[in-house]
Amino acid sequence: MRSAPPPPERTPAAEWQQVEVRYPFSARAAVGPLDLAIQPGERVLLLGASGSGKSTLLLTLTGLIPQSIPAAVTGRINIFGADTSSRAPWGWARQVAHYFQDADQTLCGMRVEDEIAFPLENRAEPACSMAAAVSSAMREVGLPDAWRRRRSSTLSGGERQLVALAATLAQDAPLFVTDEPTAHLAPAASRRLHALLTSRHPDRAILIVDHRLDELVEGIDRVVVLGNEGSIVATGRPRDVFRDARSLLASLGVWSPVSSMLDAALADAGVAPPAAPLNVREALAHLEPGTGNPDSIRKARPAVAAFLNSRTARPAAGDSGGRVVAGLSKADCAPFLGPTVLSGVDLEIHEGELLGVLGANGAGKSTLGACLSGHSPLRGGRRYGQLGGIAFQRPENQFTAGSVSEEIASALPRKTVDPEREWRVAEALAAWKLVGLERRHPLALSQGEQRRLALASLTAGDRWPLLVLDEPMAGLDAEGAARLVEMIAALARKGRAVALITHDMDLALRLCPRSVVLGEGRVLAEGPTITLLRDRALLDRAGLCEPSWAEAGRWLQRAAAC
Amino acid sequence: MTERRSWTLRETLVVAVLGAVFAVLYIGWVQVWLIAQAAFGAVTMDVVMGFWFIVSIVAAAIIRKPGVAIASEVLAAGVEILLGSPAGLILLLSGAVQGAGAELVFAATRWRNYSLPVLMAAGVGSAIFSFVYTWIRFDYGALQPGLLAAMFVLRCLSGAFLGGLLGHYVVEALHKTGALAGLAIDREKRSATT
Amino acid sequence: MASASGGVLKTLNPLVKLGVCLVWLIAAMLVFNPGFQAATIMAIVLVLIFVNRNSPATILALIVPFALFGFGMLTTNLLFRRDSPFATVLAGEALFASAAFSAGVTLFLRSIACGMISALFALTTDPGAFVRALMAYCRLPPRLGYALFAAMQLVPDLAAEAEQMRLARAMKSGRPRRAVPGPREAVSLVIPLLAYAIRRAGRTAIAMEARGLSPGPRTIANVPRFTWRDGAIVVIAIGVTALCGVPLLFGRA
Ligand SMILES: Nc1ncnc2c1ncn2[C@@H]1O[C@H](COP(=O)(O)OP(=O)(O)OP(=O)(O)O)[C@@H](O)[C@H]1O
Ligand SMILES: Nc1ncnc2c1ncn2[C@@H]1O[C@H](COP(=O)(O)OP(=O)(O)OP(=O)(O)O)[C@@H](O)[C@H]1O
Ligand SMILES: [Mg+2]
Ligand SMILES: [Mg+2]
Repeated sequence: MRSAPPPPERTPAAEWQQVEVRYPFSARAAVGPLDLAIQPGERVLLLGASGSGKSTLLLTLTGLIPQSIPAAVTGRINIFGADTSSRAPWGWARQVAHYFQDADQTLCGMRVEDEIAFPLENRAEPACSMAAAVSSAMREVGLPDAWRRRRSSTLSGGERQLVALAATLAQDAPLFVTDEPTAHLAPAASRRLHALLTSRHPDRAILIVDHRLDELVEGIDRVVVLGNEGSIVATGRPRDVFRDARSLLASLGVWSPVSSMLDAALADAGVAPPAAPLNVREALAHLEPGTGNPDSIRKARPAVAAFLNSRTARPAAGDSGGRVVAGLSKADCAPFLGPTVLSGVDLEIHEGELLGVLGANGAGKSTLGACLSGHSPLRGGRRYGQLGGIAFQRPENQFTAGSVSEEIASALPRKTVDPEREWRVAEALAAWKLVGLERRHPLALSQGEQRRLALASLTAGDRWPLLVLDEPMAGLDAEGAARLVEMIAALARKGRAVALITHDMDLALRLCPRSVVLGEGRVLAEGPTITLLRDRALLDRAGLCEPSWAEAGRWLQRAAAC
Repeated sequence: MTERRSWTLRETLVVAVLGAVFAVLYIGWVQVWLIAQAAFGAVTMDVVMGFWFIVSIVAAAIIRKPGVAIASEVLAAGVEILLGSPAGLILLLSGAVQGAGAELVFAATRWRNYSLPVLMAAGVGSAIFSFVYTWIRFDYGALQPGLLAAMFVLRCLSGAFLGGLLGHYVVEALHKTGALAGLAIDREKRSATT
Repeated sequence: MASASGGVLKTLNPLVKLGVCLVWLIAAMLVFNPGFQAATIMAIVLVLIFVNRNSPATILALIVPFALFGFGMLTTNLLFRRDSPFATVLAGEALFASAAFSAGVTLFLRSIACGMISALFALTTDPGAFVRALMAYCRLPPRLGYALFAAMQLVPDLAAEAEQMRLARAMKSGRPRRAVPGPREAVSLVIPLLAYAIRRAGRTAIAMEARGLSPGPRTIANVPRFTWRDGAIVVIAIGVTALCGVPLLFGRA
């Protein structure tokens, strides 16, 4: 921060004035026209449905759009009072640290320590202070020292995201712009990073886009909501927005924190918290047994119980009674050209079963998924059963065709003929809200749209008895997530087996009666998800944490006891 | 104008990665050549030669700036050496000569025209340069004039088709994948359609 | 510390290594003798296994493509050297005595040897360190340096990307993929791989620009230094090359 002189009085750190962005060949503007200003030191959360233009807006800040990515931009954009277009994008690196939605856009493929030192080298920082800055960034983010010499391309999805975050934090700029920084992080890591982003540097302005809001909202000063037409439809303090604009957010398909949903459930029961809550504890504070009004507590109890019930999977019929679809026996799993990361895995998955696969970043979940589906050779042991399909952790790995509709068509079974082919494609497009994008190239979509396309193409043909979904929630908005949940449930009803790799404990609990927890190079635990997630020692050991509403569960116990 | 002439970082990186990928393909093509030579004899070299000019044509057609053709060909040669091409360091010189042939044709259009005939002409340019180069290197003077003429014609045809025409198809196919968005070829195609 | 994880070869200055490898490469070009080439291959394989701790399987996997390449050289030479008519070659008796055979064998071994020398450099050198050494000691402009870096990074990653594409395709076709792609499959991967490379170049450019890669002044972290080890390796390399030359003496005799 020593590089930038303190801005004179209240020049906004970033300012968009009547900005409108239009991608080539696109009928409608991706963003705007909109006005937005971020004050120095302010922490702003930008929300919006998938495809509403959040990433596009961030990319215009330093001029990467239009200078590196073609698009037509009108209006004025200022950084600390200076016009963005007065410098090339690299000229803003001292003022703006940008964490991109795609970690590969943030990282250049160097070794971890070089990657973190790179921005400091670029501004000619002396070598000794650079070494200290690299070490401190690694420590802050929690990267082990042993990674210094690893190439960033040999890291797992979440590990890469951690390195990318360390690299942008090391830039130490007065304006920090991050686009879904925690989409692939394990719960413990994501919690720590949210705390790091929002509380450590009170004088650093932050603009953050994220879908995982639960711990984040407490450190946020202002929420800005982008509507589907690319303009701002709501703005205000988090408390106000998540209560007053709740139905607007829901209709846009934007995520709300769990506290806001509990707030709604309590309001329906007539016992709304006096002030809008930012976390579950606050939502239930006025109902604390002993101090709260017993009458309200009695009314709240069934509401909270129903709230929790709708978020917990009931062990489905045919859970373990179903036929085995695929299994691994004493399997050793390794990533392509990598070392063995899991050994001695015994695992079976049955017809109609939803199996959760949980674990810290780098535990080997993706590796296990590829082996379980039968597409990745084992280093040892044996796999039996039928071949499955995978939704890869990076959706773009799924794509083989040149347009959205071809992509879906190419995933249908080969013998599907024309009328059926067409309606199947149309149905998938409609179900996953991809209508209007048919002719777009799959990689010219927003990240959430790419994820939806990958899931659409995987499920359109209904051809695999076993599906492995690797972090399917990353990048999805609330509406997409609802669709995903519905789709997974439908698959299970049809007798398909689904292995769900996820960092979202709420999702695992809601869908998967049984889960495995990976860690320390093996399967750490296996059993009913609810039991696993109650085991404190296991959670700490595996880098997981309780579901976001665990506090409500404890409240219910206390309330039942008295 | 000067701004248009200098390469942006993205363009520099694109030239670099094209050089690297085509180096891998060139090594593969050497295999094709060897097999074909086993079947059809020594003139096969002239027939297959054109493919080794392709990177300069593809890179130039994408970036459309001075120096691209020659730089990409030299870089491909460098990577080929690192990948263990048995031709060794001399390959750098061959690469420079071939790239210069294509570059000269593009220079004649003042780096403005990248239509199919120009690309094929660039392939022929590389062929002529490389023919002169191999003449000096392998002392072609000793060969019969008839054979020499046949070799020359074959090499030019190969440059035009395996270099220019195939390069054109590669560029078109790449353009369809959308990967070229924002590069010179994409800008010009777009301004041509609107 | 680093030597514990990566072996002593990785701690050497990349420029010294490059120099040694280039000299060795030139020697392998100039010395047209099967013994020298075979000794070179042996020396490198031993160094890789015992000093750099590569697994023999990795090395075998490296040799195979070079050997295929060299085998092409061998057969063309056997069949098409003017002074060894096809018939005599097929007769087999005179095979080992024929000049064509020994020329072919030398070419065969030479392509493996050259490949192994490059592999030795590539397996023991981090492209980032190499580029930084070039920028620090040879004043390579940073943009060119990082372009070179991107190209060097890309080649090994192409294999992983191709594998990923084959996996996605195999999944769509509903069949497990074959262990080795056939020629048709290989050709069909060319355009997607090129597109991937170009996209990746664009992303890397954005990553570098967003973090301030500029033509202006810069410092260079972790510049590889010259140490006594580098001097030692030059001496050792000269010794090894000389040892590889020992077969030459017998060749003459
Ligand atoms: N090519 C490779 N070379 C070396 N190690 C690798 C390679 N690919 C992956 N790894 C390592 O293998 C381990 C498992 O990777 P995997 O992608 O399966 O993790 P994961 O559990 O899916 O993590 P995440 O939650 O971050 O996606 C990681 O520690 C990773 O660093
Ligand atoms: N390269 C591109 N070419 C054309 N259109 C694009 C391109 N990138 C994005 N778009 C479109 O612009 C719109 C906004 O995209 P953007 O990536 O900004 O969305 P987003 O709000 O970040 O969504 P997500 O939450 O899914 O990441 C989308 O409709 C998308 O399809
Ligand atoms: Mg986005
Ligand atoms: Mg993973």
